[in-house]
Amino acid sequence: MNERAGSAPPEGETLADLLFLFTSIATIFGIYAILAISLNLEFGYAGQPNLGKVFFYSVGAYVAGILVAHVVSGLAGWSGELFGAPAARVRFEYAVANPGVIFGLFLAALVLGGLAGGAFGYLASFPALRLRGDFLAITLIAVGEVSRVFVHAYEPLAGGAIGILGVPNPFVWITSLGPDIPVTAQRLAYTGVVLGIAVVCLLYAERLSNAPFGRLLKAVRDDELVADVLGKRTRRVKGTVLVIGSAMAAVAGVLYAFHAQSIVAGDYIPQVTFLVLAMVLLGGAANHRGAVIGALVLTLVDRFTQPATLAIAGIFWSSPVDLNYLRYIGIGLMLILVLMFRPEGIIPERPVKTPRPAAPAAAAMDGGTETP
Amino acid sequence: MVDFLARPALDTILLGSLYTMMALGLTLTYKVTKIPNFAHAEYVTIGAYATVVMVNRFGFVGVAGVLAVVVSFLAAAGVALGVDELVFKPLFRRGASPLHMLVASIGAGLVLRYIVFIGADLGNLLSEKANLSAKTVWVIGNGSVSTLHLTIVPTVAGIVIVLHVLFVGTRVGKGMRAMASNFDLARVSGINTTFIRRLTWILAGGLAGVAGAFWAIHNPVTPELGWRALLWIFAASILAGLTSFYGTIAGGYIVAAAENFGISLLNRAYGVDVGYKPMIALAIIVAVFLIRPTGFAGLTVRDVVEGFRSLPSRVRERARRLRASRG
Repeated sequence: MNERAGSAPPEGETLADLLFLFTSIATIFGIYAILAISLNLEFGYAGQPNLGKVFFYSVGAYVAGILVAHVVSGLAGWSGELFGAPAARVRFEYAVANPGVIFGLFLAALVLGGLAGGAFGYLASFPALRLRGDFLAITLIAVGEVSRVFVHAYEPLAGGAIGILGVPNPFVWITSLGPDIPVTAQRLAYTGVVLGIAVVCLLYAERLSNAPFGRLLKAVRDDELVADVLGKRTRRVKGTVLVIGSAMAAVAGVLYAFHAQSIVAGDYIPQVTFLVLAMVLLGGAANHRGAVIGALVLTLVDRFTQPATLAIAGIFWSSPVDLNYLRYIGIGLMLILVLMFRPEGIIPERPVKTPRPAAPAAAAMDGGTETP
Repeated sequence: MVDFLARPALDTILLGSLYTMMALGLTLTYKVTKIPNFAHAEYVTIGAYATVVMVNRFGFVGVAGVLAVVVSFLAAAGVALGVDELVFKPLFRRGASPLHMLVASIGAGLVLRYIVFIGADLGNLLSEKANLSAKTVWVIGNGSVSTLHLTIVPTVAGIVIVLHVLFVGTRVGKGMRAMASNFDLARVSGINTTFIRRLTWILAGGLAGVAGAFWAIHNPVTPELGWRALLWIFAASILAGLTSFYGTIAGGYIVAAAENFGISLLNRAYGVDVGYKPMIALAIIVAVFLIRPTGFAGLTVRDVVEGFRSLPSRVRERARRLRASRG
């Protein structure tokens, strides 16, 4: 994932530099954590290898970008080309002047993106009903690539190869509140929102998978036939988990769009899916905390092997071998080594913990009127 | 008519041959080892770079040309064998599922691709053309038949014949087919599964390497050459259900024909932009998996004829059932 944040750090201010670095890493971590949790629900728990993750992620990003581009340009009275740099400038100015509108749009994008992602997830459940593991994975990778090629070629939708520029940070107005508020405040506020949403996703996924539904997911993963014979509606379970996972991924996409402030088709390549998959496998499949830890480790590895990040920390990579190549080799090796030597990941899978019901069964036997 | 269809036809022959050569190895290894190998494309890249280095050093005339192709074959075969020994075989012993194999092959592919990147970067070969271009022999309409067409078609034909003889007429080929249909049974029957597995990888990698050699003559080579073609290789192989040898040959040419004729007809009739071309092959993958996941495998001429003949009655039956369920 390439960082193309709108505002550059001010020169010579170490604290601002570090804050910039922190917000950038923390935001990306939050986004990857959501993606990892969603893939973990689908792949770790339900055994559906949704290797089209990047597609659902891009759905969210495009919903956000298209919504903002059309609505803000319309409100600002811009009638020119929608996705290029001039329109982007108009949108940034409008966002500073109208904090409520852009924040409302951010919320609307989250909801609409989630809905669109869920709808596409429902569509993806049709191949999932017919195909087993590896074939489903290949199909969904192909779906992701088809859509990327389409968006790349079809300009009216999302600006084609150049993409959509100028998705303002929802907190871009913070700096206009007072003269001494630094630019980083916008980013800090946004990072807080992203991490908050990631925590909500984690709690939701934990709750979902520790409910009886979690056991059902594992049953579908381990032996679909048995689950079917026991009268569980396995098709419906697969559909549900793909809808939930895809909606989450789309929310992550919305968050990335507002973070990167632009949406480019070249960002949504299968490598993103593979990175998320590596996070889930490293952390431990069927374990949300593991997925988050995997996301943290790989985000840190990803960020701290970018020459730009190292330069902020004062390290200049000067070997003839490009650091980016080494990073990908590392990710590939990690995938293989984890599968070979620790297939259960950092935190192994544990049995489902269904929370104790609020009212004990004994109380119900006594007459069920009062609770202790 | 001819003047605008000549080019897609010639492209189909060239690209179809390349896709076939690449996909044959993928089908072979999937069939024998049950690994959907995402690293297969990297063997093509390695073969292509081997040819570029050989041709740019020794030329491509006579022995040097044959040598370049042989080196491509050996380089890619060696890497394929190494990946199997180091990655897939240990996983296989642990009883990894095809899905885990797929993930491992993605990892192996990443490692190989970026090692090639490092090598190409250090050697200043990030986008390198072999010092050799196909000569135009004959011009038809808007297309031209080149020496590349004239060499690639006999090459593919030769490969197909050799493989056919191998599968049908030799003990090793029989062993491969036995392993494909039932690994345990093959092993208890005294077939040397280790040897056959190695041979399979050598053949598959080598074929990919030879395809890479032809790519190097056709186009400039980049470290992403194979990766870019990967889903096309899969499309060809998936048309064959990832298992059928002859289906793969048909699949390669069908994918090439669908995208080349498809896009030039759509472009001419509706002005569809050429940028949509990659969607055709990818759509084939999705469509085959949704309609008939086994592809051409096990499909006979009689099935096709019978399928078409019974189509009206099947439609009537479906409609009747629909009405019955509603009312």
